[in-house]
This record gives sequence, C-alpha cells and structure tokens, in this order.
Amino acid sequence: MGLPKLGDRIDPAQLQRLGSLPIKARVIVEGALSGLHRANVHGSSVEFAQHKEYSPGDELRHVDWKAYAKQDRYYVKQFEQESQLTVYLVLDASASMAFAGGGMAKLEYAGLVLAALGYLTISQQDKVGLLACGDRAIETHVPPRARTTHLHDLLAVLDSIMGKGGTGDESPAAALRRIAELTRRRRALIVLASDLFEEADETLAVLAQLRAQHHDVSVVHVLDPHERTFPYDGLTQFESLETAHRMLVNPAAIRREYLDRMEAFLQRCRGALAAAGVDYHLVSTDRPLEDTLLDLIATRSRLGPTRRRAG
Amino acid sequence: MGFLAPLMLIGVLGLAVPIAIHLIGRQRAKVVKFAALDFLLATKRRTARRFRLRERVLLAVRAVACAAIAIALAKPYTSCARKGPRVQRGPQAAVLVIDDSFGAGYRLGGTPWLRRATDEARRLLIQLGPEAEVAIVRAAEGADHPSELTRDHLRLRDQLLALEPSARPADTTRALARAAQLLASSSHARRTVYLISLVARTGLRPDDPPWGKDGPELVTVDLRPAAMPNLAITSLRVDADPGAGRRGMAFDAEIANFGDAPANVELSLSIGDRVVARGTLAVGTRERKLKRFLATLPPGTRAIDASVSITGDALPIDDRRWVRASLRDRVRVLLVNGDPSTVRHDDELFYLEAALRPGDREDSGTQVRAITTEELAGIEPRAKGAAGAIELDELDVVVLANVAALPPERAAVLGQWVRRGGGILVAPGDRVDPAAYDKTMLPLLPQSLRDPIDTAWGATPQDRDSRALRLVKWEADHSIFAPFSTTAPELANAKFHKIVLLGPTTDTADRKVLARFTNGAAAMVEASIGAGRTILYTSTLDRDWNDLPIHPGFLPLVQQTVRHLARKHAQLAVSDHLVGGSVALPTPDLKKLQIQGPDGTSAIFEGDRITGRTSVRFTRTDRPGVYRVLGTDPSNVTRPRDDLAFVVNVDPRGSDLTPAPASALPASGRGGGSGPADDQRRVELWHGLAAALLLLLLIEGLLVQR
Repeated sequence: MGLPKLGDRIDPAQLQRLGSLPIKARVIVEGALSGLHRANVHGSSVEFAQHKEYSPGDELRHVDWKAYAKQDRYYVKQFEQESQLTVYLVLDASASMAFAGGGMAKLEYAGLVLAALGYLTISQQDKVGLLACGDRAIETHVPPRARTTHLHDLLAVLDSIMGKGGTGDESPAAALRRIAELTRRRRALIVLASDLFEEADETLAVLAQLRAQHHDVSVVHVLDPHERTFPYDGLTQFESLETAHRMLVNPAAIRREYLDRMEAFLQRCRGALAAAGVDYHLVSTDRPLEDTLLDLIATRSRLGPTRRRAG
Repeated sequence: MGFLAPLMLIGVLGLAVPIAIHLIGRQRAKVVKFAALDFLLATKRRTARRFRLRERVLLAVRAVACAAIAIALAKPYTSCARKGPRVQRGPQAAVLVIDDSFGAGYRLGGTPWLRRATDEARRLLIQLGPEAEVAIVRAAEGADHPSELTRDHLRLRDQLLALEPSARPADTTRALARAAQLLASSSHARRTVYLISLVARTGLRPDDPPWGKDGPELVTVDLRPAAMPNLAITSLRVDADPGAGRRGMAFDAEIANFGDAPANVELSLSIGDRVVARGTLAVGTRERKLKRFLATLPPGTRAIDASVSITGDALPIDDRRWVRASLRDRVRVLLVNGDPSTVRHDDELFYLEAALRPGDREDSGTQVRAITTEELAGIEPRAKGAAGAIELDELDVVVLANVAALPPERAAVLGQWVRRGGGILVAPGDRVDPAAYDKTMLPLLPQSLRDPIDTAWGATPQDRDSRALRLVKWEADHSIFAPFSTTAPELANAKFHKIVLLGPTTDTADRKVLARFTNGAAAMVEASIGAGRTILYTSTLDRDWNDLPIHPGFLPLVQQTVRHLARKHAQLAVSDHLVGGSVALPTPDLKKLQIQGPDGTSAIFEGDRITGRTSVRFTRTDRPGVYRVLGTDPSNVTRPRDDLAFVVNVDPRGSDLTPAPASALPASGRGGGSGPADDQRRVELWHGLAAALLLLLLIEGLLVQR
C-alpha cells in the first residue's frame, strides 16, 4: 500500500497502517497543506528586504553577485525574516488517552496531530518542544529547538510515548505549569492535546493562566466517538483505565443520563476556554487528521505572524 | 401433598437453567475499558442498586417459573378432611335440590346464602362428571320443577347462575318427592338426591315421607352457618280506632324473634310513602310480641296502603309487612224495639235513635234501622225473599232494647250471625222475663239474667234519688270508655233506679265486666261469641229505669258501644294475601283491569277474561308489597281503583329458620348404590400453580421491559 494521494483526506485508521511517525507526520502535513496554497507557505518564511555593503564577517552566500556585476562593489542581501516562534507541544499520555472505541486510540490521534504540528513547525524553522504527562514517575521533556535533526529526536520521543500507550493519571496541569516556568516572559505557542478527563478542572485553570501571560494557547480536545455516543448494548462490564473501578451495567438504562453528563462536560470546557481566550478544538478520533491540522493552522494564521528583521 | 405424575418433578432441575444462564450471562458480559468511567459512575450510583435488585428478582422469578412448570405438570394435590358431600364421579342419576325459599336470601357477609348454595351445586355438578344425568329442583313452595334429568350440564349451570331467592317459604318435602319421582324414571343404579338447603323445620313434613324404602340416597350438603338469628314481622292487622276519631286506625304488628338472643327492635309505621310513627320493642329469645301503632288516615283518603318495618336484620324480606287500611263503612245498626209507644219520648228507642243519629246527619257513620219485636221474624230463613225479610249479613250490630225472649229458632239465627262476626247489644226492661231469657236467649248473653232490683221501691220521693245506683269503676282503657275520664261526671251523675242482676256466666269467651254500679252489680258485660261480640247492659236504654239518656255521657257511650261491636266485621274485610296465593278481584262494570305489582310487573284482564264475569282471579303474586289496580269502565275512562288495590305479604312460616332435627329428614333409600366411604377429599393444586405461573411470566415480562 502506497502513500495516499495528496488532496485526499486520510482516514485515521488508514494512517495507522503507515510506517514510522515521521512519515505519518509528513503525510498529514502534506495532506493538509495540499488544501492550502503551498506558495503562500513557502514564500512567507524568508523575504528580501534591502542591500547592504559587504563587510568582513558577512556570509559569502548572501553576497549579491548580480549587484557586484553592475556596481563593481560587494553587496550583501538582507532578508526580512519571521521572528522565531517557540511552540510547546503538550501531550496528555494518561491512561484514559489509551481508550480506543474501535478505531484509533485517543493517544495515538493526539500524538499524530502533535507530530504533524512539530513537523510543520520545524519546516518553518521555528522552535518546537514537547512535554508529556500522565505517568508521574517519568518526566518527558524535549526542549524547543529549530534544527531539522531536532525533529527526529522529538518524533522519536513522541513515538516512544505512543508506543507505551497511556499510563498514569497525572493531569496536564503540571506540564503546563512547567512550560510557564520555562518560557518566562517569552511568548510561546502552547498546543495541548488531551481528553481533559480529570476530577477537578485544574487544567482549564492553568490554561487560562497561560493565556493571561500572553501565550498563544490551543487545546485539541480529543474524544473517541464512543465516548460521545455511548453506543454499547447488552450487559457490559466497564473498567476504568486509570483506576480499579469497574461496573456491570445495562448501558441502555443509563445512556441518556451519561450523554447528558458528557454534553455538560463539553459545554463546561468550551465555555471556560472560550472565556479565557484559549483556542479550543473538539475533535473526534474518527475525524481526518488533516482537517484537525488545518483547523489549527487556520486559527494560527488568523492570529497573524510576529515579524522582525534578520540579516 | 402428593403428585399424580411425580416423574414430571424431574423437570424441577430446570430451575438450574435460569441460574446458569444468569451466571454465564454475567461472565459473558462484555468488558469494555472505558475512559469516561467517572461519568458512568456518577450515573450508575443511583441505578446500580436498583439494577442489582432487578437482576436478582428477575433471576428468582425465572427460577420459580421453571420450577412451577415442572411442579404443575406433576399435578400436585393435597388431601383434607372432606367438608362437602361425598361425590362419586361417573354414570349416575342425581338431583340437586336447592333451597331457593326467601330464607335463602339470608345475607352472610353481604351476599345471600343462595350464592353459597349455587356455588356448591356447581362444584357438585363438576364432581359428578359429564356422564351423570342431573336435574335441579327448587325447594321453594310452588316452584316449577323440571320434567326430566339431563346431561346438558351447561344448561344446568346457567340455571344455577340465574337462581334468585324467591319470596315463598320452603317446601322441602315436596321438592324431595319430586326429586324421587325424577330419579325413579332413571335406569341408573346409582340415584342420589343432594339436598342443598337451610333445612328449616318449617319446610319439612316428617309425617309425609317423600319416598319409600326404594327411594334414592339422600346426601345433605350442610352449608348452614352456626347461627341464623332472624327477626320478622309475622302479622300486621289494622283496625278502626274509634278513640282517634273516624279516621283513627290501630295497627297491630306481631314481631317474632327466631334468634337465640333477645333483641331490641326498632319499628316504624308508614302510611302511603310517609313514615308516621316509630317505636322500639324488646323481644326475648324465641318470643313473639305485639306492637300497636295508633294513627289516623290522611284526609281525603278512604283506603291506603300502610306498612310496618323493622331494621337491622340479615333477612330483609320479612322485615316489612303491608296492610291495606280502609275507612270502615258506616255501621249498620238494627234497633229492635221491645216497647214501642206512640208517645215519642216514651218509646223505648227514642233516646237511643237520637244518640245514634245525632242531628240525623248522613255522615254520622251509623245507619240505623228500627223495627219491632214482631218484625224481627224477618231474620228467619223462611222469611227470605218475603216482604219484611231482614238480611242479617248486611248488618253490623243488632240492639235488643227491652225485647221479650225470642223464640228459639229466631234466637238461634241471631246466635249464628253473632258467631260469624256480628255484634249484639242486649238491654233489659219491663218486657224482659229473666226466666224466659234463660230458656232461649242464653246463647246471646254473656251471663244469665236474674230478677231486677228496684232501689226506689217503697222509697219516698225525697229518698228516691239518694237510693239510686250510680255508675262507677268502668274500664277506662276500654275503647267504649275511651272518651271518658275515670271520674267522668257525665256518666257518674246518672241515677239508676232499677237494674237486672246477673246470674251464672254462659258459654262465652273473654267475658269482661266493663262497668259496675255503686252496689257492685255489673252495669255492662262483654263477651266473645265465635267471631262476634255481645254486650249486656243491665238497665234500660230509655228513661224507664234510669236517667242516663238525658246525661251528656249517653250519646258517646252508645256510639262507642255500637262502633266497638261493629269492629269484628271490619277486621274480616281485611284480607292478608300471601305470596303465591291467588286474589279474587271484583270487576264491577269494568271492561279492563290492570294490576301493577310492586316489582313493576303488570297483568291485564280484558276481553274474554273479564267480559261477563263478576270477578277475576289474579295469581301472579310473586313478590310482597302493594298491588295497584287500574280499571277501565265502559266509557273507556281509566282510573286507579284504590278500592281494589291489595297487599301481599310473605308467608311468616318461612321466617322461622330453626333447623330441623336430623330425624325430620327422610332416610336414604336403597337406590343409592354402594360406594366406598372416603372421608378425605383430594384438592388438586395445579390449577393454582398454573395461574401463579402465568403471573410470574407476566412479572418477568414487565421486569424485562423496564
């Protein structure tokens, strides 16, 4: 089976059968970008600004030879370059993210979305870092870098997290606080992929704090379709992924109330994050990943890039 | 408990099936690792307990249902001491004699005893089996009986369901005799009579056995409760009550207590639709007591129906009794003048006639005819049809005023008339010879006569009044003296100079001295002769021997006396028709007669049934109460005929529910065949189990739906 054709939407399940994470990330990104005008993306990274007379120390590759031929003097081209963006990817790798209602697990879906984002960020020469939460015993932190080789490191870590599956019940709030400490006053784009299942709404509070510190914050709220529709029937024993709770129940008897509670939860999340100005994306794991990525990109482009001069 | 098909009990192992399914189902429950379990937990906490309970109840219901199927198929039964009759199933002839007399309407726990009887009869019918030839014979007096035995048990069952208590007493002996007749025509060797009855002694005639030695076997089904106390009004008579005026009526109700405990009975008298009097009466165990109500008929009515009822009884049908109260016709009085005179005030009847016809008014209530002693010959049979003949039956009272002793044949005719209900007042005088009276008049007198005493004999005119006798000590409670007080001067002031003394009593009943003189001699003596009455007044009815006629007490005294003597005649006019009896109704100049019963039914006599007849006979007196009559005269005018209305009451014999002794029942004959004695009764339980099973399945279905 070859790569899906560009322009097609890739079914997450189909994507699962692809090879390594870097390939998947690339497929997602290219699939997503095929829906945009590629030139806009490529041409916006480095743009010519003015000429400057050569002085020792300037990079020879920036010498404008055409101008030398005309003027017989050495000029160096100066470019207007985007300011380098620091992107923190936060992956909720708690046990609840390991739930797969029949298709892709939430953790895998979230991981792919973040991998694609990482790929895209590196390709734009921005810095990208990674924090994962879930298992309190393991701290997973990949500092932000912009090098291409960094992408491989980052994706390797991501791949290992996804390979282990979700463990533990640590809330993403701790990882987000860590980012607040790491970035200090420098603005960063923080993307959290999580199901936001926790007893207290601590994560929502921390996200609001980060937004108050002028960070750009996006939340990819990943839920499995089964969690949205509760399609079970017949006597079923439900077992918790994070605790030892289990219960034998006739799903039909409680479906209505469960769905009401779920809807109330989503409303609460949506309302709290919108109030804080946090970019919120509720995605289902059966949704094409490119669409999710495009949503994220579209939101970011609406915000507009921060530019500075660079030589 | 036992089982008819015990092998089927193996099926009880099926009990394990739902348990196994439950356990396996529990193990096979899908396991889902679920992230949003917190949402479920919050939801489930409330429903978990209910869910677990439902699951357990469902398991129990299913297990019990499985076991019930097997047990029901094993046909369980239990044995208990036989309460009902011993019944053998199979080919046989049987008659169910059911007591549907009005006693069967005795209410036990709100339902009539007859329902128990018919339920038991239906059970018997089932137990006898379809091969049995059966008939149902009702034990009420006059009930229609079937003509043959039948195997159509469905029809018999319908007959039982339609059975209602009649209004007639039981005639169990006749019903048993009819049952024996029906069975005698059967070819079956086994012939049985099942008697489902209260077995009241009044319904049995031990001296008239219903069958001989070859009669059927008698099986008595004892459904009689331990005690059946009953209060009943066993008779109600109405009589004119002169003391209450012309419209005054006295109602005498007899209340019988057939129970074993004394009762305080509340009674009420209704005239028309209105309760006019109430009262209470303590009636002892097995006692009968009379209660008298005094009332006046409503103005403008000459005849009306009245009833007396009691309350608080388990057998309501005999708690009310009706009577037809009608104003008595005018009292017809024949005055026989033994000492007529051409001088008005010397005539023997001068004062009496004036007193009986005050003002000579038509509405005086008294129709007076005066004759001489010689004219009294008209009462003799040989005078019948001749001029001057006197029809005694058209008279209520005859007054012999100073009449000499009558010839024996004439006295005999009078005596017979009195025995039939006539009333006679005998007053002496100078023409009366006690010795001659002893010879012929004794059958008309309460006491024989002796010589008169004259208190004025030899007295000076000054002493004459002081030596005169006066009336004292009269029976103030008697209806004759009802208008007078115990010391009424209008009577006590009268002076009696001469009276006859009385000799030994005659062959009469209820002799009673109603008044005496100051010397202790009797002034007025009453006695019953057959259905009639006689009163002997020991002084004259004119002023020859006393001056009472010029005293104010004379008029009410003779009026009351005449009315009192006429009472017997009035009572005879009131008939007490019983349910089931026939009533003859005169049809004077009517071309159509319609009779409406108390239950709304009506009967019409017209055409050949009434034309040319002087009376019709109505027999459909099935319910107690008032039967009203509408008459259509030749001019086609239809109007209610209150004068023809009549009342029907239940036969008081049926109110006595005292059980008959076992010896009063006929002995079983040889026609019963022989069957094994079995005092145990098998009660099959599988019907109940099957019903329970259906219920369980219903519950299971409901639980599954939830």
